[in-house]
Formats: sequence, C-alpha cells, structure tokens
Amino acid sequence: MKKAIFYIILSLVALIFIYPFIWMASAALRPEIEISSLSPFSHNFSISNYKAVLEKIPIGRAFLNSLFVSSSITFSVLVFSSIVGYALSRLKFRGRELIFMVILFTMMIPFQITMIPLYVLMVKFGWTDTYLALIVPGMISAFGILLFRQYFKAIPQAIIDAARIDGCSDLGILFRIVWPNSIPALVTVAIITFMNTWNEVLWPLIVIRKQSIMTMPQMVTLFAVGGQAEQVGVGLASAMMLAAPVVIIYCIFQRHFIASMVHTGVKG
Amino acid sequence: MRRRAIENNRVGYLMVSPYIIFFLLFVGYPLMFSLVLVFHKWNIIGPMRFIGFGNFGQLLHDALFWKSLGNTLIFLVIHIPLQIIIALVIANILNQRIAARGFFRAAFFLPVVVSGVVVTILWQQLYSQETGLFNTLLSRIGLPKVPWLISTRLAMPSIAIMATWKNVGLYIVLFLTGLQTIPASLYEVADLDGASEVQKFFHVTIPMLNPTMVMVVILSTLGGFSLFIEPYVMTGGGPMNSTLSCVLYIYKQAFYFNHMGYAATLGFAVALIIMIVVIIQRKLVETEIYT
Amino acid sequence: MLKSIKWLIVLLAVGIFSQESILFAKGDVVRLTYWPSSNPQEIELAKVIVDEWNHKHPGIQVDMQPLPASQSSEEVLLAAVAAKTTPDICSNIWPGIVAGFTEANALVSLDNFKDFWDVALSRAPEDILETFRSKDGHIYQMPWKGNPIMMEYNVKLFSDAGISKPPRTYSEFMVAAQKLTRDTDRDGIIDQWMGIINVSPVWWHRFFDFYSLYIAASGGRTLFEDDKVNFDNEYAIQVFRFLQEGFKKGYFPKGTLQGNQFLMENVAVQFVGPWDIGYLEKYKTEDFEYDFAPLPIPDNTPEPILTYSDPKDIVIFSTTKHPEEAWEFVKFLISKESDLQLLKICYQIPFRKDLDIDSTFKEYFDENPKTMKFAKQISYTRGVDNVSQLKEIFDVIAQAFEYCCVYGKETPEKAVKNAAERCQRIIGR
Repeated sequence: MKKAIFYIILSLVALIFIYPFIWMASAALRPEIEISSLSPFSHNFSISNYKAVLEKIPIGRAFLNSLFVSSSITFSVLVFSSIVGYALSRLKFRGRELIFMVILFTMMIPFQITMIPLYVLMVKFGWTDTYLALIVPGMISAFGILLFRQYFKAIPQAIIDAARIDGCSDLGILFRIVWPNSIPALVTVAIITFMNTWNEVLWPLIVIRKQSIMTMPQMVTLFAVGGQAEQVGVGLASAMMLAAPVVIIYCIFQRHFIASMVHTGVKG
Repeated sequence: MRRRAIENNRVGYLMVSPYIIFFLLFVGYPLMFSLVLVFHKWNIIGPMRFIGFGNFGQLLHDALFWKSLGNTLIFLVIHIPLQIIIALVIANILNQRIAARGFFRAAFFLPVVVSGVVVTILWQQLYSQETGLFNTLLSRIGLPKVPWLISTRLAMPSIAIMATWKNVGLYIVLFLTGLQTIPASLYEVADLDGASEVQKFFHVTIPMLNPTMVMVVILSTLGGFSLFIEPYVMTGGGPMNSTLSCVLYIYKQAFYFNHMGYAATLGFAVALIIMIVVIIQRKLVETEIYT
Repeated sequence: MLKSIKWLIVLLAVGIFSQESILFAKGDVVRLTYWPSSNPQEIELAKVIVDEWNHKHPGIQVDMQPLPASQSSEEVLLAAVAAKTTPDICSNIWPGIVAGFTEANALVSLDNFKDFWDVALSRAPEDILETFRSKDGHIYQMPWKGNPIMMEYNVKLFSDAGISKPPRTYSEFMVAAQKLTRDTDRDGIIDQWMGIINVSPVWWHRFFDFYSLYIAASGGRTLFEDDKVNFDNEYAIQVFRFLQEGFKKGYFPKGTLQGNQFLMENVAVQFVGPWDIGYLEKYKTEDFEYDFAPLPIPDNTPEPILTYSDPKDIVIFSTTKHPEEAWEFVKFLISKESDLQLLKICYQIPFRKDLDIDSTFKEYFDENPKTMKFAKQISYTRGVDNVSQLKEIFDVIAQAFEYCCVYGKETPEKAVKNAAERCQRIIGR
C-alpha cells in the first residue's frame, strides 16, 4: 500500500518535470490562436514557427559556433588541466602545495569581480567579437585540475615506474599511461565542461555583438528578449531548437551525466 | 637521487607553467585591476579619474543596490527551503525499493542539463498573464488569474519557483547518493531502541545527510547571488525593480551606463556579502548536527 | 636546428617584403572604412551610395562594413574606440554618445574644415545645427537623418467612432480614447485600445513617449540647460499625468501583447517615426487607412508643435589617416542625391530644410504624401542634450515612468521631482 502511494507521488512529480517540455514542444507547432490550449494535441500542427526562426536569425550558424567553442574549450581543458593535475599529484617540486592553494583560492572568486576587468582585457587585446574572447579565458579550469589531481593520486606508482624505466617522458606517461587509466575522470570533466560552456550566456553577451560569432543560447536569448519573435510560438520554437541537442545527448548518456555531476557534487 | 629531484623540479615547473601564465593573465591581473578600478571613475574610452572612496559613498546611498540584495534574499528564502524539502522527500522515496528508479531519476534530472535560457523562455510563457498555461488552468477551474510576473510581490517568488524546478533534480540525486552511504547498522540500532519512522528520520537520516545539506545550501546560495539570465529575459528587472538581481544590476552599471569603477565596486561588495552569508550558513547548518 | 632557423628567417623576410611591395603598388589609392548601421534598409542604402562614390572617385575607395546586427551599436563603437580600431567614417551615431567620445578625443572636429559652414548651413536649419555643438564650442557631428515622432492614427477606426479630426490636445485625446477603447466582440474583455505605449522600463523606449511628448508640451525644451536639470516643471508633470491617466483608465494596455497591434487594428493611435510607413505599406491590407498628425499637447499650448527627432549623425574618427578625403565622402553622404536615396530606401528624413521646396524631391513627395508630413516636421524638432550620462538619465526617467504612469504608485508631481533630483545628482558626479 505504501509502495503504491510512493509510485503515485513519483509519477506525479515526474510529470511535473516532463510535461512542460511536452507542452513547449507542442506549443511550438501550434498557430498563435491555439497557444493557450491545454491539450498537447491539435489539428493544426505545422512547422511554420520553426521556419520563421530560421528565416529571422542564423541559428544554424550559432549552433556551429557553440559546437566549435564548447569543443575547443573542452579539449583544451582536458589536455591542460590534466597536465597540471598530473604535475600536482605525481611530481614533487618546490612550491607544489602553494600552487595548489592558489588554485583552490581561484575557485572561490565569484565571477562578479572578474567579469568587468576580463572584459576590459578583451577590449585591449582587440579580442571582442572574436572566438578568442570566448575560448581563451576558459582554456584551463581549476575545477578540472582539482578533479584530475584527485584521480591521478590513486594511480598505482608501479605502472608509472614501469613506464619511466622504459624511458618515457612525463608527458608521455600522462597521455599514454595515465589517461587510459582515468577514463571516468576524463568523462566527468568532459561532460561538465562541455555542458557548462554550452549553456553559458552571460560572458558571450558581454564580449560578442557580432551576430556571426554569437553562441546558440546567446542568440536565442536576444531573439526572445529583443522582440523579434513576434509570436509566442516562434519564441518557443527557438527555445526548442536550443534544447534539442542537449536533450538528445542527455537521453543517450544520462547515466554518465548524472554520475559526473554527483561525482563533483560529492567532492564539493 | 639528487638529479631526479632537480629534474622533477624542472618538469614540474614546466608542466604547471601554462596554468601560471593563464592565472596571471586571466585571474591575477583582473583581480588587481578590479581593486584599482574600485577607486576610480572610468568609462572605458576616456582616462581613469581617481576618486578615492567616492564609489563606496555612492554604494551606501544606492537604493537600487540594497533593493537588489533584498530581492536576492527573497529569492533565497523561498528557493532554499523549497528545494531541500522537495529533494529530501523525493530522495527518500526513491531510496526505497522502487522499480524504474533510473527512469524517475532521469526525469527529475532533465531540467538540470537543459540551458537556463530554455527554462526561462518556457516558464515566461507558462506564467504569461493572458495566454499562459497556469492562468488558463486556473480559469478553467474557476479561480482568478494570478499576476505571476506583473505583481511586485509575486514576481521574484515566481522566479524562485522556476529555479527550484530547474535545479531540484541535482539535489535529489545528491541526497540519494548521501542516503546510500548511511550504514544500515545505524537504523538497526535505532530499531532496537524502539524508534518510530519519524524519529529515525529526524535522528538518523537528517544528521547523516548534514554534509550534503550544507553543500545544497551553499550551492543554492551561490546560484541565488549569480541570478542573471532569468530576470534579464523574463522581466528586465521589473516590475518596479522587484526582480533586479545583483548581477543584473552590475551588468547594467557596466554595460549600459559604462560606470566601470562603480561596477567593480559593486562586484566586490557582492563577493564580500556572499562570503559572509556562506560563513554564517555553515555555522548555522553545521551546529544543527550537534544539537 | 640551426638550418631550420635559417630557413625560418628567409621565409619571414620574404613574407615581410612581399607585403611591402603590395603596399607600394597600392600606394596611390586612399582607402577609407565606413560603418553604416546594421538596419537592413540602411545597409542597402549604404551599398548604393558607396558604389556610386567608388565609381566616381577611383582615387578614394570606400570600404563599407555594417555594424554587427541585433545588438546595441553603442557597445561596438565603445569597444572600437577603446581598442583604437574605429573606422574612418560612421553614420550611425546617436548624439547622446558624442559627449563621451569627444572627452576621449576620439572624433575629428568638423568645423575645422574650410567649407564646413557653407555645406552645413546650406542643408540644415541653423538652430538645429546649434543643438549639435559640443561643450568646447566645436562641432563633431554632422546631422544626417531624423525620424520625427508623430502621432500615427487609424483613419477608419476614428471615422467609425464618429471622430472627424485626430485629437490635438490632451482633453481631445481623452475624449476620443473613451470612445475608442472598447470590447469589440462582446466577450467581456477589452480588445481595442486608444493607443499602445511600451511598458517595459527600458531607457530608450522613453524617446517614443515621455521625451517626445515633453518636447511638444514645453515648446522645445530638452532635459538640461547649461548642466542643470530643465524638466522640473509643469510640462513634465502634465506629460506624466497624461500618461498616468491613459493607463489608469485602461486606454493603453498594460500587458505585453504579441505582434504589431496597430497593424492588427487593435489600437487606434501610435507614436512613431516615418520608418513605420515602409513597414505598413508592406504588410497592410487593402482597406487599411492611416495618416499622421502632430503629437497631442496640453490644452492652451501654442503652435508650432515640436517633437523629438531621433537623430543619427555622421562622424569622422580621429584614428583616420585621411581626414580630408573622409570629409569629401561625408559631403557626398549628405548630398541631394544621397538624401533622395535615404528617403526612397529607408523612409527616413534627411536633416534638410528645403525638402518641401527643392525640385529634386518633388517627385518623391508627390508619390509619398505621408512622408511629406515628416519632412515638414523635421525643422521643428529637438535632439538630446550634450551630456555623457544620458543613458543613466533616461533610465531614471524610465523608472519614474514605470512607477508613476504604468503602476500609478506615485503622483506626477512627486515622480518628476524625484527624477529631477536624481538626475541632478548624476550630472553633478
């Protein structure tokens, strides 16, 4: 009996979390008059809202921009954060702990303080309205360093020693021995970094004004706020297009998503 | 041995050097520059004018700044308890032997991965006065329409509810993980003492979940102070500045009015307040275990 | 190792010298960069003008680059000034940012050119030109075009309600509003309103309500005079009261509605500029009739009725290496032929005092009589003050507007007084 109540509650709650998306999907397909209809079905489904979005803004270009930026940052974070994490965990050198403290400290600095001077820096470098402003400030992530350091510490010394005896350089050890043994860490950092950079809106809003460089969430934001989407359905259609890639990947890899976020949450 | 040590030093420094450069450029320099900016008036294109503590004076008298803090407080006061209660309850239910647990977990977690922009646009429509889903539902069952985003008293709470919907999935999963680390022996001991379900919940479960709860509170607080895209898209800070968040205000000062010095001052003030709030919260929530 | 370095040096040298030779070959032609706005019609206009110029002036070639689309162009210009990557000429300058730019020494003073006054006075009315003079006495911007804000009204809705003339005063406006705000399909909900005013508290929306109405009501005052607040007066109070009454009585809808309400014939009146003609002509139905009248004014206000010109000006940035050639291009931008194209392609009004009498434009105005109303109005307009904190000032006014007019939480007297105090403090800083 208790179980039945549990299932009912869970299903209701699950509905609360999923139904808005279903509603949004169907509202994006409906003409303006039927927007407030409660039922997710309609006789007049059409893709005209989506067509309107494609006509008004270069959202495909924005998608590619987001893909390029997020992939570049994720790749760079994986490489550089793991290098630093390796050095901090497996090499002994003077000042190692000091550097680690500094890295911990940077994680506590809220973005509110750094965003203005960072913007000024981008202006002085002439990087505004270029991919550089989007990618370079995110190339190394303190969080990534932390995670890798944690994980690499647990790698048995024996494997590393064996590789050293074979004459492997430290970089070689990192990429040829440590990486293959750290797949969970790599996956975690990759997923978190990719997801966070994909969804990032504030920074692109600050440094990018040129439409051809805008990222997808940024473009959809400006589209919805700027009033270009004259009809509700069109705005919702653009939101659907923004959500689609993430939702699709999520449905396939959801276990890894959840595991990654928990992993980092628990470490906190 | 000595040669190895020296070599280790060299390689070590080489490997962390990319980060050192990165840190100096993108963390150290901005921090220093921010500190300098605080004492100046600057609009990016003109010269920087030294004004001593002028920005601080302006801050103390700036009604909008204090209002943005108040708005954030309203947000947190609704968002945090709501989130903890819902996440605790659901996590506990999920912790029982439930079939399709994976499905439920995935469902709750869905809003977490989706972009905040999508959630905001969706909920803006749900909350819409005339054509929104919520008001349509309400009028169908004969209740009056609610001015979710138009009333100065309801706008921020509405945003808080939306934020809870978006994030609670993460905390459900975190609590679930926490619950699974509680040793069964503790419950057995409680059973031997004749404890009821409710007593077990409050005297075993909650205290053991304390580290997770601290984390939930701190993460939510940081999120609350970083609120930007929701008010930016949904309300523009209105109605009558009731949804003006700290970051939105800093953004306006910096990028609408080009008051770089003042915006930097605001940034520091907010950071300071975050630190104080988090320290107080840790003290409060942590003492709970030991009472 | 050494060998590869040698090759590297050789390659570098070749690279540098080949660049230099290219430079030498093109040394005769002066190249200028020109930034128009990101508005699609203005880009089209810019293409036409630039092509014509490049044709006629093989020795001075102009390269047009539109400003990035869909974001405030001020930010882009600001970043360009800070990084010193500004173009030679830009024609999308809102006078409000000129004060900041001149303080940063980013602009060339135009009155230093020998023929400046001849050219400028032959085109723009002198009193308008004076309003563009900067604090240091120089003129850094050439008035290019304006969009005088007038009252656009739906002729059919008015005649159906038995009103023969568009309202001239606030009282007439309210009388008409009462007749025109109604529930057309008898479902208990009002679906037709007198007018539509944008309720979101964004600073620049106020150009199209408070600021235009204030200029009209006060007979041409702007917000400041000699660095002192100049709107702490009865005119501002009357404008606020007018707007507050409109919202209170429901003549202006409070929520945000989707789509163009004027086109959908849900509102009878709108305060817009001439650009709307192009839009309406493209999308209106056969029987849609509209016309324009001057803005309403408080009762007993004398003529002529002025308004806000929503001006855009042309500037030459000080980073230019060819100021004389840039000035030649600016003169071409404001020539009669270019002005005619501006009218034809963009439906916007050049700052020209002889539009209604010069034969070059006669044919255009014969075909577009509605635009003529704006052409006559352009000589009776005001711009914005030469104050660098304008955005913040308008933000204060937007907030006062929201509190007082939209939500009725403050009396007009208090709202104006508070706004004036805050603005005086901002200027004083």
